Amino acid sequence: MGLAVGSIYALIALGFALVYKSTKILNLAHGELVLFGGYLAIALTRSLALPLWPAFLLAVGATLLAAAVLGAAVERMIMRPLFGQPLLSVIIVTLALGYIIRGLMVGVWGGDTRQFPPVLPADVLRLGSLAVPRVGVVSAAVALLLLVLFSLFFRYSLWGIAMRAAANEQLTASTLGVSLRRVFATAWAFAAVAGAVGGILLGLWLGVNFALGFVGLKALAAVILGGLDSIPGAILGGFIIGVVENVIGGYIDAHIRLPGFSLYGFKDITPFLVILVVLLIRPYGLFGTEHIERL
Amino acid sequence: MSIRPAGDFKTSYARDMALLDTRFTRVGFGLLVALLLLAPLLLGRYLFLLNAIGIFAIGAVGLSLLTGFAGQISLGHAAFMAVGAYTSWLATTRLGVPFLLALPLAGLTAFLVGALVGLPSLRIKGLYLAIATLAFQFITEYVIIHTVGGSGGNVVPAPRIGGLQVRGETMFYFLLLPVWLVGGIFAANLVRGRVGLALMAVRDRDYAAQVLGVDLLSTKTLAFALAALYAGVAGSLFAHYNRVISSEHFGIIQSIDFIAMIVIGGLHSIWGPHLGAAFVILLGQVLKIVTPAVVALAPGFGKAATSVREIVFGALLIGLLIWEPGGLAMLLRKFKRYLDVWPFTY
Repeated sequence: MGLAVGSIYALIALGFALVYKSTKILNLAHGELVLFGGYLAIALTRSLALPLWPAFLLAVGATLLAAAVLGAAVERMIMRPLFGQPLLSVIIVTLALGYIIRGLMVGVWGGDTRQFPPVLPADVLRLGSLAVPRVGVVSAAVALLLLVLFSLFFRYSLWGIAMRAAANEQLTASTLGVSLRRVFATAWAFAAVAGAVGGILLGLWLGVNFALGFVGLKALAAVILGGLDSIPGAILGGFIIGVVENVIGGYIDAHIRLPGFSLYGFKDITPFLVILVVLLIRPYGLFGTEHIERL
Repeated sequence: MSIRPAGDFKTSYARDMALLDTRFTRVGFGLLVALLLLAPLLLGRYLFLLNAIGIFAIGAVGLSLLTGFAGQISLGHAAFMAVGAYTSWLATTRLGVPFLLALPLAGLTAFLVGALVGLPSLRIKGLYLAIATLAFQFITEYVIIHTVGGSGGNVVPAPRIGGLQVRGETMFYFLLLPVWLVGGIFAANLVRGRVGLALMAVRDRDYAAQVLGVDLLSTKTLAFALAALYAGVAGSLFAHYNRVISSEHFGIIQSIDFIAMIVIGGLHSIWGPHLGAAFVILLGQVLKIVTPAVVALAPGFGKAATSVREIVFGALLIGLLIWEPGGLAMLLRKFKRYLDVWPFTY
């Protein structure tokens, strides 16, 4: 159970890390991008007059494409004019962007929870003694696959190397002929795609509801834990947060009783407690690069 | 870079540093205060708008000290407001403390909580601090739901001063106005003095400020504590004004609204939070009136109407940050300058 939730956190966290790694921007609208992916894929699947599977695959393809375009457009129209502005402006702009996307989604699709038509059977797989829902297995597999793909991309392709160079030292990279604009746009597009994949898996499992933008903030705990600029860290962090939330939070929910008040819902704030602890002990996370500030 | 009227020479530092330094601003401020005093007569049944603006302006002044002047980003300002509101509720209902004591008590409690929350800001900064305050916001909401609040509302009594029961918009307004004025002037005074300069030095570069002899520990905690103090007072006023408080009043959305207020108003201006709070409240009210009218004209628009406020706010914030990062205060100043030098713009 924890691993299944964790894999979705991992996918969302991947989007945070991708944007942060190359642009040093924390995209607080990422949760909304995730939901956008889920909503769009569901709407397309339902509206296409095709058998279930082709409709689903087509919808997923179209959604990923739309997410990539949206990501690049956000970078071009909103983030580029703010290049070099103080951190505060950038954070607020991503918050405002989240507002707009959420508002549009509520406007178009309403406030109800939406679900895919049954694409995957909703049964439970047994792995040894563990019972895991099938969607969980699929999303864990997708998360690992994306991790491998992105690592290969960053390690071997020319683009990936350019993006790593830009992440490492923007000015130097740009004097050596790396187009920062294209790198940033690509990073945003990739992040939006990773988010959309997370959203689709979320839709397959629980259905999407605009209130789930909250999930995006929980995934924030995963990136903080793994290190903001580390992609394997984000994936691992996602799994850890998922497990911690379900094991520790679930345990406290079910078994600890304090006189006077109950602790139900403790599960939902465990990720935030994790954030606080990590920030105080090791602010750069498990795998992040330690930043030393000099005057 | 304002243009001084001809013949307006400053002959002492005290006059140069004065808050209201020209005759225009002195007369203008006098007029403003007079207008505010007469507002119940002028506004009639719309006075509730001014009450709401005042409450949120007090909270926004705190956030502007913290974010605009000290440069520490807080995504959990509404949580401080919640601390004030619930302290006030506890004090007046459970302990029987009179309102006039409960108000400062709420501010003081928030002040202490703020100092505590501000401590980690020494170790973590920028983005990480923003995330930590976000975590603080969610944890506070949780604590409130599970200790004092529950998910329903808590009923707060109307403030009672001496034998006088404060009822209705007008009476509450005259309770609010002194707090609002004192809070605003205190912040303006703070910003021009030693503390304000220290805050700004920390904003610009904290290590450089430390080298120059600004004590980081006390300055940063003070910034957080002051911000929380203002939020706590605003929270207490809000509780006694609204008479019902629940954790939903102090959620993350409210925190973001506070940020919207100070950004729209102008981050580095002492007028900014007041202008911003007025703008945000008025805009919310205008949208409430305009949206149903638009829906009546174009029924197909109906479904989108629920979220118009969010979309308009988001678009406004992004537009302002891209084109006029100084906010309304800067626009006003540019307009004044335009009038000053009109018709020759050189």
